[in-house]
Amino acid sequence: MSNASMPKIELPGIRNVLAVASGKGGVGKSTVAVNIAVALQMQGLRVGLLDADIYGPSIPLMLGVQGQVDQATTPLPLDRHGLKVMSIGFLVPPEKAVIWRGPMIHRALTQFLTQLDWGELDFLVIDLPPGTGDAQLTLTQTVPLSAAVVVTTPQEVSLIDARKGLEMFREVRVPVLGIIENMSYFMGDDGKKYEPFRSGGGARLARDCSVPYLGEIPIDARVAASGDEGTPLVARHPDSPAAQAFDRIAKVVRRELESAPAANPLPGLEMT
Amino acid sequence: MTPTRIRLARPDQLTILWQDGLTTCHPLERLRKACPCASCREESGQTADPFRVLKPAELEPLRLVKMEPVGHYAYKILWSDGHDTGIYSLEYLRGLEKPELIPTT
Repeated sequence: MSNASMPKIELPGIRNVLAVASGKGGVGKSTVAVNIAVALQMQGLRVGLLDADIYGPSIPLMLGVQGQVDQATTPLPLDRHGLKVMSIGFLVPPEKAVIWRGPMIHRALTQFLTQLDWGELDFLVIDLPPGTGDAQLTLTQTVPLSAAVVVTTPQEVSLIDARKGLEMFREVRVPVLGIIENMSYFMGDDGKKYEPFRSGGGARLARDCSVPYLGEIPIDARVAASGDEGTPLVARHPDSPAAQAFDRIAKVVRRELESAPAANPLPGLEMT
Repeated sequence: MTPTRIRLARPDQLTILWQDGLTTCHPLERLRKACPCASCREESGQTADPFRVLKPAELEPLRLVKMEPVGHYAYKILWSDGHDTGIYSLEYLRGLEKPELIPTT
């Protein structure tokens, strides 16, 4: 049986599609995706957020969505914090493991993108799962990704995996807007800067791989608390250094994508 | 390196005009043999089985039925023998034949 055919997914109502990736899990990618999405929305844009992590969806918790969504009464994608949001977590209870092989991931993501009414969006932010597997393949082969950002923490073990994520985007020709270093440092009550996960890794990676460095997000207990409580930090504590960092990153993303010429699709075959 | 035009100017040859103005000409038999999919790569390392029963589609002259972009980085080709699992990256296509400067007619 041949590979599932890969129909192009047209998303005509969506102007820009931004993938948030990391090589490694646990670096805060979903937190970054949610906060960038809300930061963009707070700047007045129409924003959607797709949780593409089928195995470990984090978005429902981070946006305070409890329980499953009854599609008969509540249309998907959901409206939350000004965003249009979709996650498999809305359909599957958190205690149930989704044990799926690639083609089912492909089908689910394709359905989320094409069978739900996202409306007109300025930005669709896609929270990718960690790694370079089925979800990433589906999205890079079938969805017109405008660009990606790669999230890492400062230490070497996540840099190694972030490099793989960068390499993947290079191979599939998705522009990388830059590296975001999460959990960079925290400011102690004594006013001193502490770097429990080492320092400088994100900037070094950006330099080594010739991609821009989008900056650091400090460790802030309020980030995790907001995540667990379901209100993103940028909305809950907009004056915090972390929120300001997200806001700055959102502005860069917006500037880069709004000024970039749309990538031309590859030419089709002319049969003469 | 990006293609600007892809043409089946002859039924047995694919022509790709690249952004740098050079052209690569791909005889279909060679292009088919160069399929980069996992099963073709494995087969190319083994000797052909002389007793394998050919499918009817393989007995007809090879045709390129469809060629579709995959993202921004590759093409997927459907061949008349039914094979369609090969994803040919742009770099791979460019490297298969010697690029030439051919004035476009």
